[in-house]
Amino acid sequence: MYITLDGVSRQYDSVWAVDRVTMGIGKSEFVSLLGPSGSGKTTLLRIIAGLEKPTTGRVLIDGEDVTDLPPHRRGVAMVFQEFLLFPHRTVFENLAFPLRMLKLPAAEITERVAWVVGILSLGGLEKRYPNQLSGGQQQRVALGRGLVGRPKALLLDEPLANLDRELRQEMEVEIRRHQSALGIPFIYVTHNQEEALSMSDRIAVVRKGRIEDFAARTDIYDRPKTAFIAQFVGRSNRFEGTVGAGGRSVATRCGTTLALPAPLDPARAVQLFIKNEKLRLAPADGTDASHGANRLACTVKDVILRGAYADYILAFGDRELNASRPRSERAFLSGEAVIAHLNPEDIDLYDTDGERPS
Amino acid sequence: MRGTFSKILGKYALLATLIISYLFLYLPILHIGLGSFARNHTFPYPPRWTLDTFGRLFANSLYQTAFFNSLVLGLGAAALATLLAAAATLGLMRHAGRRAGLYLTLFVAPLFVAEVLIGIASLIFNGLVLELQGNLVSAILANAVHCFSYALLIMATQLYRYDWRLDDAAMVFGASPARTFFEVTLPLIWPGLLGAFVVTFIMAFNNLEISFYLLGATPTLPSVAWGALRYGVKPELYALATAVNLVVILGLGLMFVLMLTGTATFGHRPERERAV
Repeated sequence: MYITLDGVSRQYDSVWAVDRVTMGIGKSEFVSLLGPSGSGKTTLLRIIAGLEKPTTGRVLIDGEDVTDLPPHRRGVAMVFQEFLLFPHRTVFENLAFPLRMLKLPAAEITERVAWVVGILSLGGLEKRYPNQLSGGQQQRVALGRGLVGRPKALLLDEPLANLDRELRQEMEVEIRRHQSALGIPFIYVTHNQEEALSMSDRIAVVRKGRIEDFAARTDIYDRPKTAFIAQFVGRSNRFEGTVGAGGRSVATRCGTTLALPAPLDPARAVQLFIKNEKLRLAPADGTDASHGANRLACTVKDVILRGAYADYILAFGDRELNASRPRSERAFLSGEAVIAHLNPEDIDLYDTDGERPS
Repeated sequence: MRGTFSKILGKYALLATLIISYLFLYLPILHIGLGSFARNHTFPYPPRWTLDTFGRLFANSLYQTAFFNSLVLGLGAAALATLLAAAATLGLMRHAGRRAGLYLTLFVAPLFVAEVLIGIASLIFNGLVLELQGNLVSAILANAVHCFSYALLIMATQLYRYDWRLDDAAMVFGASPARTFFEVTLPLIWPGLLGAFVVTFIMAFNNLEISFYLLGATPTLPSVAWGALRYGVKPELYALATAVNLVVILGLGLMFVLMLTGTATFGHRPERERAV
């Protein structure tokens, strides 16, 4: 592994912000640290950068133990959420800063800055000061300053959080492209699951300072390891209930019965998650016979148009269900009676402590 | 109609207040200024013009020595106070944590001690413990005490706006802590340091209450002026006051022109960086 964290922990007063994290990151991997705010993901990133010292554990970059090295001798670069461009320096000077610190000759500095100005389309802005740039331009300069020194790794701390949605999606594509072109690991901290899913090779879900799971992005989304991940990644409907006498179904607390994909011990308390897009809809009059094993009779309460798909808010007994359907399917209107149905295989099932039952 | 009338009235009331305020501030200075160029300096209305007063001032070597001593005292105390206060402010903001309030209170406490008391206390301490005779060094040390408190307050208001994460950014991009300070921190906070230096210089330059006890036989401008009072307000004192005022006005004017033409900007202010 190119970057290795070995039992890294960080204690603040009596709180463990990072708790026994062990992970390895490959040479040209794009890894996201995904977690809610306060989960310790930024602290973890700052430990890799050297801006925080781990209380215990070791950090290795390219085979070298850098645990005791200060940030300026680690050879990594960082892109900050607030950009943190040097306000008294022009764009050119900001981009040249890491190169000057590397003591490169002036000609090479000019050349490299020109290269990064080119790939980030910053041409013509070299003489401006950061406060004369738009948010998107500042973000590009921040990214350029991260790439220009050809670091061993680029650490990104929610770099897109301050941009508007359109710009964000544009930058997602761009960041990913630069990562594969440069072939260095990018470690990307975010609380935004869409960003993590769209860019990463692997995602580490961080919760209360611990790595809940570290797996390929499709695994994180399709086969969430814990109830926390099922809740946090994607949007889901949650049920609580008890496994029935035969072990093949669950009686939910809201009064319905759901068939299970595999038998379980009877009387076991469980929680179920069903992703919004796994909940299919059919008209209640029975004209569509393709119902799955589990049927829930609902009424459409509201329809939220998302463009390519529609979000349905359904009244089911005294609770609500959410279903997300592509617009290419039959549309339902507010007030219409529908059958929401799903395959037992689409249920993600966990014990009450959030682990998958063995 | 009533509305416009009261609006006009309000405007004139504001103008009158403005004029009265400026008169209050500048009449004494104008009076002294006029007196310093007049033969009838005690009541120069109308003035009978002369430059004799300045001639006598510049011919008097005591005033020249005193000016030089005041300059040394002001620069020394300002440099010492600014340096210590800069270190104290950095410490307060970066490392004090929850005790910052306590440290700050202790740092500014000298402001609440009468200057005469600081003078007497310093006289005793410097004499008994440091075994310093009454001289400039002793006066510089004593002046630095309350100058330090002022410098700290001035710098703290400036450095409060400084984003310390810029230091993080500099270090991640390869700058050592010293390099970070000189490349990033200092260029952004120097207006605060300069402000503290200028204010503390003026304070120490003009100080009489503290310096009086510690200077021994060393003359400074305030002490010479104070001593001269015993023999009545002499024309030299008028000239001295005007000379000092002229230097200050020229300095301010120069700064104003520099800022107007954009030759000097006196620092980058982070709060304006968020404009876009």
